[in-house]
Amino acid sequence: MTELIEQFSSELAARTAALQGAVAAIRLPRGRYVSAILWRPDVVVASEQSLPEREEFDLVLPGGAQAKARLAGRDAGTNIAALRLTQPAAPPVLAPGEAQAGALALALGADGSGGVSARLGLVNLAGPQWHSLAGGLIDRRIALDLRLARAEEGGPVFSAAGAFLGMSTFGARVRVLVIPAATLERIVPLLLKDGRVARGWLGVALHPVAVPDALHATAGQPSGMMVMSLAEGGPAAKAGIVPGDIVLSVNGAQALGFRRIAAQLAADSIGRTAALRVVRGGSVLSLDAVVGARPAA
Amino acid sequence: MSAAPQVALAVVLRVLVRATDPARREAMRKLVVDAGHLPVDSPSAADVVLSDQVHAGFAAMPEHGGQSLFTPRELEVLGAIGDGLTNKMIARRLDISPHTVKFHVESLLRKLGARTRAEAVAKAREHRLSNTVEL
Repeated sequence: MTELIEQFSSELAARTAALQGAVAAIRLPRGRYVSAILWRPDVVVASEQSLPEREEFDLVLPGGAQAKARLAGRDAGTNIAALRLTQPAAPPVLAPGEAQAGALALALGADGSGGVSARLGLVNLAGPQWHSLAGGLIDRRIALDLRLARAEEGGPVFSAAGAFLGMSTFGARVRVLVIPAATLERIVPLLLKDGRVARGWLGVALHPVAVPDALHATAGQPSGMMVMSLAEGGPAAKAGIVPGDIVLSVNGAQALGFRRIAAQLAADSIGRTAALRVVRGGSVLSLDAVVGARPAA
Repeated sequence: MSAAPQVALAVVLRVLVRATDPARREAMRKLVVDAGHLPVDSPSAADVVLSDQVHAGFAAMPEHGGQSLFTPRELEVLGAIGDGLTNKMIARRLDISPHTVKFHVESLLRKLGARTRAEAVAKAREHRLSNTVEL
């Protein structure tokens, strides 16, 4: 038995040693740092929410070499930031793999001086795609059954076989989530090319409300989204929406949940007309808004 | 000489205020100014960030499948409770009968699972923050 445990342990250590070349540290103010992935020889990927708003960053590469990187783009919607190294490094090739609930996951972080830190846990959840509060689509919902230090956020997560599952990050209530490799493959090239991920924008803050009984028949649905606030000069404001309006549908998609509306605001919706059905003062109105581009967070 | 105690500020902090709701952002800014600190617009110029986000971290877009929603009128009553108004005052403000107000308040407490008005206001605030999405 002892042999099996020793074997397991040394395999993990060997795996960590083989993959630590993919882990970099990004220096933050006051001596702090956060982890990042050497995704390609000249591209570093990090957790968007962990990075201060800056253009240039100092990095510590695997082995301890100092490096500089420029921000290529950041997307709050998928929580991905891409940086370009001024001098290319030599990271190991990351072979993407699929997360499986119940399987082991190895989460690596940077130690701030060129070394690596490691965490082992189960893939707690490997669910379907999901939308973030910031409007991004993440290909799979992957949660890990392990703890992560603040500085370890943004590091790579691997399967027991060494396949690259994605980037670690903190979700609501400090739950450790993984931004899947597939989402990085989709978003990072857009960030390198355009510096941002375009998303449609109406400029409204919406809150679900029950449609008053008296209006059930007219509205034809039990609930909608009340406009709590409006971005000044935003698409909805220009279309004549006012706070207190209850949005019933956008382009015919009933406003029964946020995802249905978010789905109407993909990148290709920018510049198009969105037909809004709203309840105001007891009657139903139809208004047209020209979908804008969501401003950077 | 007046003996009024003077509170000396040890430091003036540069504060970045973060809130999705513009009215809320303005209220938070005012709070910062009243406290003698300096609101700034750029994160790089800020010493601290004051945010209205209850849960830090990359959160999922909520879906309200099945949970009970408030009606617009209930939201108005909730706002009035938050302003510290009594049922009688709420009735006057919304131009409805005190009996109707009582009905709405009871419905609110039930939906929120709250025992007191103060608890309802606190729970409603959290509910609103985590269920308001900017699109």
